[in-house]
Amino acid sequence: MGRIAIILAVVFSAGLLHAAEIVRVVTKENAVRQQCRFFSPVKQKVRYNDPLTILSRSGDWYKVSFRGVSGCIHKGAVVAGTYSPGGGLRGGGGASAEEVSLAGKGFNPQVEAAYKGRHPGLNFRDVDLVERFQVSEDALESFLRKGGLTTP
Amino acid sequence: MKIRILISSAAILLILLAGCNIPGVLPDQVAGLPGVLPSNLRSEHVEMAARSVRAVSVASRPISDSEEYYVGRAVAARILQQYPLFKDSRLTQYVNLVGRTVALNSEKPNTYGGYHFALLNSQEINAFACPGGAVFITLGMLRTVHSEDELAAVLAHEVAHVNFRHGIDSISKSRWTDALAIIGTEAAKTYGSADVARLAGIFEASIDDIFKTLVVNGYSRGQEEEADRASLVYLARAGYNPKSMAGFLERLKASGRGSSGGLLDTHPAASDRLDEVRGSMPDRTVNPLLEQSRTKRFSSTVLF
Repeated sequence: MGRIAIILAVVFSAGLLHAAEIVRVVTKENAVRQQCRFFSPVKQKVRYNDPLTILSRSGDWYKVSFRGVSGCIHKGAVVAGTYSPGGGLRGGGGASAEEVSLAGKGFNPQVEAAYKGRHPGLNFRDVDLVERFQVSEDALESFLRKGGLTTP
Repeated sequence: MKIRILISSAAILLILLAGCNIPGVLPDQVAGLPGVLPSNLRSEHVEMAARSVRAVSVASRPISDSEEYYVGRAVAARILQQYPLFKDSRLTQYVNLVGRTVALNSEKPNTYGGYHFALLNSQEINAFACPGGAVFITLGMLRTVHSEDELAAVLAHEVAHVNFRHGIDSISKSRWTDALAIIGTEAAKTYGSADVARLAGIFEASIDDIFKTLVVNGYSRGQEEEADRASLVYLARAGYNPKSMAGFLERLKASGRGSSGGLLDTHPAASDRLDEVRGSMPDRTVNPLLEQSRTKRFSSTVLF
């Protein structure tokens, strides 16, 4: 029993002493912002699977650093998980971490292409059109302000 | 000796299985700590144990956000095969502004591919939420709502379906289990042609499951109530009047008299939803002047 207690104590101590926590971006694109709020100026664009180092937490936002730039990202845009330079993402986030480590697996563009091949009549062209329609952050911010609306 | 190895392995497994989030502590690091583990407990034992844990985790993992995105794209393509897209950039811009506002105030303001709102050229009163964040609203629905706050209520309800993954939930569980058997646990990025064909078959059946739920059978009553309750919260957070949901349902109830089709067939009766919504209404004071100004911009944008 004594030995188990020692093992557990050392393992937990090692966790506390370990380097900063790394999270991964889980959206196709996102941004590290100057302040921890939507519409704050973008300091650095980030892409799916980019590793960000958490510096601190503030409500629904994480203060992070990426490629020497520090700023804020919404917690919903990242998933917990630790990163080993040689071995990719490991541990830390359970299934969520695994889903990033398995990036590209499962239902992916290759599967979509096969599905499209089976159903050439499906209207993926208009799906792309819907996705390409962009609303600028300036337009959205102005819309909110004029309508007396808010963001969290 | 074997007992010591088993005890040590069990301790590590317990930590991993319990989901303890110890940032960066990897089994090989634990094994490498002098004096932590018995000397004959080699790193491969620990790695083997960790691999088993990871395999269990992957075997039961949910559909990921990126997979949900591809499912959603295919569901959207099916919907657009049946309902043509209404390509009016001014109206589309407006619907996107309202939709993005409620989405930002939802539990999940970010999805893998983002939220996209679009109009369908149909007089049917209906709206659809595709997994991943594409939301469609028919012209018939746009005619039924009478203000920006009511439009926000309709879109908030659809955003809630996305947030709670109600579409994904309608995929038969056995399909995903079959898919995971093909996907496996290794992180190769491409499949052989036989695996692609099998996965495409499962993908197609999954799309059919969701399409049937969205267009034919509707979500369960519990899911609809969950979406209604969540939408009231999104509206209140955004600054919209949550009572607009009740106003819209009143109108829907009136529209439903003597007619059928679309949302009237796939959703619980508007009168039942009204009772539920009124019972969950957040206590919120809304500035009537701001609400009027939003209604004014709605009327100047939705010109029919």
